[in-house]
Amino acid sequence: MNKLNDYADIVGKNYINQLKSLAINLKKKKVIMVNSTKDGGGVAEILHRLVPLLNELGIQTKWETISGDSDFFNTTKNIHNALQGQKICFPREMLEHYLEVNKKNSEKFEFSEDFVFIHDPQPLPIIRHFNKNKSKWIWRCHIDLSKPDLSLWKFLKSYLLQYDASIFSIAKFTRVLPHPQYLVPPSIDPLSDKNKELEKSEIDDVISSFGINSDKPIILQVSRFDRFKGPLGVINAYRMVKKEINCQLILAGGEASDDPEGKIVYDEVRQEAGNDPDIKLLLLKPNSNIEINVLQRIADVIIQNSSKEGFGLVVTEALWKRKPVIGGAVGGITLQIINHQTGFLIHSDEGAAFRIRYLLNRKHISEKMGKLAREYVLNNFLITRHLRDYLSIMIALENKNKHIVQL
Amino acid sequence: MKKNKIKAFEFYNCVMLISPTGQKASNLKEFLNIVEESEDKVVFHHLYQSPFKNEFKVLEYPNDFAQWAATSLEDMALAEKFANFDPYNFNNVNEAKIAVMEIIEEHLWDLVTVPWVRPGFEFYFSSSTTIIFRLDMRASSLAEFYDCIKQAPLGSIYYHFYEARKRNNDKEKDDFSSWLIEELDEKEAAGDLKEIDFYFYSLIEAKEKILTIIRHRLHKNEQVK
Repeated sequence: MNKLNDYADIVGKNYINQLKSLAINLKKKKVIMVNSTKDGGGVAEILHRLVPLLNELGIQTKWETISGDSDFFNTTKNIHNALQGQKICFPREMLEHYLEVNKKNSEKFEFSEDFVFIHDPQPLPIIRHFNKNKSKWIWRCHIDLSKPDLSLWKFLKSYLLQYDASIFSIAKFTRVLPHPQYLVPPSIDPLSDKNKELEKSEIDDVISSFGINSDKPIILQVSRFDRFKGPLGVINAYRMVKKEINCQLILAGGEASDDPEGKIVYDEVRQEAGNDPDIKLLLLKPNSNIEINVLQRIADVIIQNSSKEGFGLVVTEALWKRKPVIGGAVGGITLQIINHQTGFLIHSDEGAAFRIRYLLNRKHISEKMGKLAREYVLNNFLITRHLRDYLSIMIALENKNKHIVQL
Repeated sequence: MKKNKIKAFEFYNCVMLISPTGQKASNLKEFLNIVEESEDKVVFHHLYQSPFKNEFKVLEYPNDFAQWAATSLEDMALAEKFANFDPYNFNNVNEAKIAVMEIIEEHLWDLVTVPWVRPGFEFYFSSSTTIIFRLDMRASSLAEFYDCIKQAPLGSIYYHFYEARKRNNDKEKDDFSSWLIEELDEKEAAGDLKEIDFYFYSLIEAKEKILTIIRHRLHKNEQVK
């Protein structure tokens, strides 16, 4: 496991000292993070790094997950989709079960910590079973809340109002709330298996294990098999490009244990891909981090064809590897892709096809954009910045209503 | 005259936490109404803190309002008016806010229709919390001062060279030039620092300018010896 000082080579010693200076003010504080899974998905990935680093800085931090049956996770998946704008009807018993599972989970916690960070909607209502006392409760929302289903939002808001603060990834996702809201874009860990530099032999091993043909340009999308990620649109765009350029498409998706819909969407994509030998569908096991790292490094063009996106950490990963990204102009993708500088924002399958051809035909421009992309991530989207934001939020909450805090 | 006992310059750093208010404007009239009802800290964030928020980017426009008018509202005349507006010329944030509102009102007066943005390009209002903490960096001579600035994080440049003017309620009074005059009697270098058109620079650019001025001064002092 990498230590804080290991990041100094990347972000500079000054930055690490800055983190230590902030953390001194939170010594002896206790923190708990709660979400619904430790495997799969961007949230778990961030917490796997953030929690040890907070501990290293002297802030006692625990990470716990809530458990639930398949009905619960189907409901929370629907809640996730409805918060991202899909019209879904929630029968009363469905929401009652959601609350009941949260109640059951509440029995295993005490929440005596100074700061309780609740991630995403799955454990959101757990707060109602606790007398907050001295703890500060913060809801960390990782999803696109720009146009949630209104009745569901009203239902969840009644619990959210009990929190002391909430955190959103970008301003577009925020709502008018009576408590402070903070902006914290997610981040990637540059030293993790998914992002670290790789030896040639490691790259070759993955290429041969997946049977990838290195002779044809590779178009890649890495994402869960989820309709909001637009995998069918990527196949459509690939087919338009294929008429002009002999290329191949790789759709690589991980599985998250709290996403029951993944298998259904995977089957739809497999059917659409048919027997095309140049379309490769890779259903990756959890923790296929080196594999994803390799795929992003060998790809000629990386796409993220999302129609809804909380943030899209996979875009950050690709940018970090000096790859410009073609991404749907939604959610956090718009924060990462500076159009024409670190990639291209697209609005249709045709747009995707056009930009894929643009980058495949103009390697020098692609390289130039990739260099800028790396620098942009370095300055904005690494785990060290994320850590700094969490420290700052805790300090700000300790100094409530102060616009300037002098430590 | 140079003091016998020099008070060392203590470097501070700051980090900024952005707090959105949840309000957004889709057209210029809505924008004006929200500015009008906004607290000073919201206006402060958008008018004064852009260089800090975009510390690594060289932005064409010096504040969030001008940036939005140009890139989202696509009203270049309004963007130019906002860009040419210097909030440091006002005694306080509220006066700057009133001046911004007057710019918008006059601009709207001459328009036939209220300009709107496309969905997704709304202006999102925010305030911020600035957390200030001491760095382990002190300077007692011009050479030490130069070395410290070289190492200083951009948050430190913001705190001493931008935020100080608000803190001191004087556009001309940044911490660096004040110390150069009061402790080292370096009036010329301080004067050169005051000449920097800071509001139009990114923090990286401002830091470079400061370093160049101090480097020249050090060189000159060396020649005199």
